[in-house]
Amino acid sequence: MSLEFLNAFKFLRKDTIIHRLDPRVKLIFAIVYTINALMFTEMIPLFLIFLSLIPFILLGKLVKQWIKSIRSLAFLFIFIIVINTLFITNNGFSFSIAMIIRISIMISAFSIFFLTVDPNDLALSLISMKIPYEFAFSFSLAFRFVPTIANEAQNIIDSQQSRGYEMQKKGIINQIKNLFPLLVPLIISSIKRAFNVAEALESRAFGSKKERTFYFSIHYTKTDWIFTFILCFILLGLIFIRFQIIIMPEWFKWSLPL
Amino acid sequence: MEAVNPLILIDEIEFSYPNNTFALRNISLKVNKGELISIMGQNGAGKTTLIRTLNGLIRPSTGSIYIKGEKIDSKSVAELSKIVGIIFQNPMHQLFSNTIEEELKFSMKNLDLSKEEIKQKIDVILNKFNLEKYRDRSPFNLSGGEAKKLAIASIICRDPEIIIFDEPTLGQDAKEIDFFLELIHNEIEKGKTIVMVTHNIEFTFENIPRIILMANGKIIADGPTEKVLTNEFLVKKSSLILPQIQQFKQGLKEIGIKVPNEIFKLNDMIMFLNNYLKIKLSKE
Repeated sequence: MSLEFLNAFKFLRKDTIIHRLDPRVKLIFAIVYTINALMFTEMIPLFLIFLSLIPFILLGKLVKQWIKSIRSLAFLFIFIIVINTLFITNNGFSFSIAMIIRISIMISAFSIFFLTVDPNDLALSLISMKIPYEFAFSFSLAFRFVPTIANEAQNIIDSQQSRGYEMQKKGIINQIKNLFPLLVPLIISSIKRAFNVAEALESRAFGSKKERTFYFSIHYTKTDWIFTFILCFILLGLIFIRFQIIIMPEWFKWSLPL
Repeated sequence: MEAVNPLILIDEIEFSYPNNTFALRNISLKVNKGELISIMGQNGAGKTTLIRTLNGLIRPSTGSIYIKGEKIDSKSVAELSKIVGIIFQNPMHQLFSNTIEEELKFSMKNLDLSKEEIKQKIDVILNKFNLEKYRDRSPFNLSGGEAKKLAIASIICRDPEIIIFDEPTLGQDAKEIDFFLELIHNEIEKGKTIVMVTHNIEFTFENIPRIILMANGKIIADGPTEKVLTNEFLVKKSSLILPQIQQFKQGLKEIGIKVPNEIFKLNDMIMFLNNYLKIKLSKE
């Protein structure tokens, strides 16, 4: 097993229009798309929302990573299809497809966010939203440690495998039991690291002054405003369609006969 | 003379990470049964990647690896780990049980041993590693050195033919290093083969007969330690420094004392200087 799929959520330094956007725009983007996805349960509108993500992916040159993030969810998708088709008698299959598209939208939106936002900028943008520095910093620190923890998890898997640990085992109970040799070392070393980081921060006088100055600053540019307007427009438009059912065209509600 | 199959045969393997950085380029290597080998080189030279290919954790993109004459391509890590045991740098990456005894039990789970055999083996191993008194204690309360000992014990108890260490002397005190040295000599006597990745030049120079130097994913030297580590060009190329004895020899040469070439060990050097001074003093 490899934890490669976590790479779909790791910041990737590139020079594209999406990467250059202010992190706040990208946060709005992720939130808008999540709301969009949660507003509908019909296949067609969800699919259209999904399609509308593609220009962002192409602009950010993120196709490879995006495919990886979607592919990593294949197991979950199969699970959703099977459970929904079995237990929902009325249009279960269509519903499960809609749910899959919904999850894909949310995963893609956040994947784009994480892939294009530098963790350092994230702290700055949170501070500009008047969030206290300590919280903003711990949030961006958490981000920064995602790849480190993924790396560590891989090392743990390797060391356990080297002493005969088998990844795939039959039966749900066995599989859950099988997680202990991986999770316990991972949690313990993460806690240890957290203490180390805290000590290192304190020894560098973290939090000694209330007011902080920053080496870099972020500004909302014209492009940022344009993207924000487009996103707000999409959101308001979809809210309008959602609540004025009459406007929602009949074909929006179409579903598979299954 | 009859040709003997090498225990490990690496045939022109290459490997690159997903971000296209080459970790191993064109590596070929033969290791015979009973050898004690050190792999050295700067960080990022590909040492750890190389040892990970030996039990299938990393599969090379081209070339093949043969262990005991058999190609390992189609063998699972679980299967290979019965022959090749790797002890990783950080012991905390594998400890998870409530007691040390359970930790060792987990290692012997898929070896088809009976309960009595497992118990017997645990007794022997705990005794050998001086961990008997901690038997029912949590592995998380152990000191760094003891945790490392336990990690080593949890591989040795599986009785693999090839034992691979990643940085075994890192963070160990002098007494622990002595223990480790005794352990590897014991295992070699039993016919085991040992490969270790290390940055410890002095340890290697004093104790390990064969060395492999790596740089930029390639093997740049492979031979007797006293030849390779005294070659200034090679040592520089792999970002190492000459062993202290060698530096000392050069210093002596500068003041006109010529030390014979075959002196590499600290004890030999002490003997030589002893004799030298005796002769010199008696002349005066």
